[in-house]
Amino acid sequence: MPDLDLHLPAIAQADADAFGRWLAGAETPLRASLRRFAAQVDVEAVLQEALLRVWQVAPRVKPDGRPDALLRLAFRVARNLAVDEARRAGFHAPVAEEDLTRLLEALARDGASEAPDPLLRALILRCREKLRRQPRAALDARLHAGGSEPDAGLAAALGMKLNTFLQNVGRARKALAECLRRGGVALPEQVP
Amino acid sequence: MTARDAREALVEAAAGAYRPRRPDGAVGTSPAWHDLDAAGREEAFAAATLSRRLEAALEPEGLSSTARSVLRRLRRP
Repeated sequence: MPDLDLHLPAIAQADADAFGRWLAGAETPLRASLRRFAAQVDVEAVLQEALLRVWQVAPRVKPDGRPDALLRLAFRVARNLAVDEARRAGFHAPVAEEDLTRLLEALARDGASEAPDPLLRALILRCREKLRRQPRAALDARLHAGGSEPDAGLAAALGMKLNTFLQNVGRARKALAECLRRGGVALPEQVP
Repeated sequence: MTARDAREALVEAAAGAYRPRRPDGAVGTSPAWHDLDAAGREEAFAAATLSRRLEAALEPEGLSSTARSVLRRLRRP
């Protein structure tokens, strides 16, 4: 597994492209680390805020001889944000310090996840081609927007009602997941 | 629309990567997420996890919608 600190010197020089390459490997383990908070905080919002803060503090991060110093920091930033949000909402924070320690030890042992491979991409593209027109249009709209626009705007641009758009997004994801499973790809989460 | 359809729509909305900005500039939460019960929030998390993996795999640079949203914000604060 690659050490994502490979990108740290460039990130410290405010190279956003380098931060993007770091993100490509860091996002999945970071999101997974927030799993226990899923019922208590909006993990997507916490994760995005944590990543913005990591970008801000990255120039001050010094490698300590162990791999993935920036990712280890990101785990802490994300966890602290999630704990704060959960407490603000009146929940008892669900993750103890020992859990974070275990997470960091696992990261040290296994490293960060690698970026998607070309074969997986080719299979997903093939599965995408098989989607029905409306689910594919909804999926493509979300992909193209990249989190920049509310669903209401994407739905309107496609001439769909918002709920129809959302149903189509769900159908597209489920159909893709099913197609990938038939192709032998192990997926990390059960589709709801 | 049935109650089940309405719930599925909320899950899908909460599983998207778009998040509003708070007045202080911080990343805001999804209104749909607030309308979900605990089980619905867990479903939204699972749906988002899978969606981001698929998005990243489809994008040549391996960036999900979450990553692209973050990069857009730090390039244009």
